[in-house]
Amino acid sequence: MAESDYQLLDRYATGDGAAFEELVTRHQKTIYDLAYRMMENHADAADLAQRTFVQAFLHHQSFKRESGFRTWLYQIGMNLCRNAIRDQARRVHEDVTELELADSQDILAEVAGTEMKDRLGRAIRTLPTRQKEALVLRVYHDHAFSEIGMIMSCSEGAAKANYHHAVDRLRRALVSGEG
Amino acid sequence: MTCHEIKELTVPYLELDLEPSRIRDVTVHLDGCAECRAEMEAVRQVLVRVKGVAVPDPGDRFWNEFPDKVRRELARERPPIPSGLRKGLTGWPMALAASVLLLVGAWSLKGLVAQGPAPAQPRAVAQTPQAVEPELPQLAEADWQAFWDEDPDMALVEMAASLDRQAVDRLFGEI
Repeated sequence: MAESDYQLLDRYATGDGAAFEELVTRHQKTIYDLAYRMMENHADAADLAQRTFVQAFLHHQSFKRESGFRTWLYQIGMNLCRNAIRDQARRVHEDVTELELADSQDILAEVAGTEMKDRLGRAIRTLPTRQKEALVLRVYHDHAFSEIGMIMSCSEGAAKANYHHAVDRLRRALVSGEG
Repeated sequence: MTCHEIKELTVPYLELDLEPSRIRDVTVHLDGCAECRAEMEAVRQVLVRVKGVAVPDPGDRFWNEFPDKVRRELARERPPIPSGLRKGLTGWPMALAASVLLLVGAWSLKGLVAQGPAPAQPRAVAQTPQAVEPELPQLAEADWQAFWDEDPDMALVEMAASLDRQAVDRLFGEI
């Protein structure tokens, strides 16, 4: 029978490298998937997944074990993604401010071309971060709303509301695009 | 139920996240309301499409190398080994730290006694190839303090692991 995450963590705490390997291997795909769906590119997803594990192992002694190790990884990963998205948004804002001084015709043509590519992807991409978090955790990772609330550090009701708003927003985006 | 109420319950209904009695109420309404049925179907389609969005697999090589990458980054992020072990040592870490310090001290004293009171030659000439001191890592105090506060046991383990093995063996041999 496979060892639990807690047992592996105990072994890791005694310096057992095999336990470290097992914990990372066990959860790497889940955390990468989460990061990819939030960041939507491999480079950021790989970087954030790696940082999630680094943070978890750096601070493993502060893990109170009130939730599963995987939920804790989700919390760390989601926080890192949120910060990365915030930083990206700040950079994009700065870039756009600079671009506004450049050739506006070229930019408009590029935006129009991009708009035709992937309506659903764009709709997901433009969701408010909290709604996107709830959507990703619910749809792709099958979490219960109570767990989503724990990961997002909000109430179960707020998690549900974010998810419902996300779905509604996607529906409206797709309907308006199909019309 | 009104159409507005149904709209509010669309997602929970599709997710079966409603009381059974509410599910029955919504179903009854849907049976008699084409507009709400269409709305319900539209939302269901959205969920199906969203679920269909796949994440490209980065490949076996990526997954195989991933744990090592984490390990390397973890070692890089951890503040390196402390230059002084002073605070809050208890139990076996205390014993280990004391042993290391005693060995280093004893070895240094032995060297002084063997060297005699007034070395006639410059120090560089007096040194033999065997007299290699095990190097304790040179760290900033703040780094050590952070590492020690974070994980004192691991700090000591890494300190012991970082000592030059051959130098330690020589140290034991000399003593």
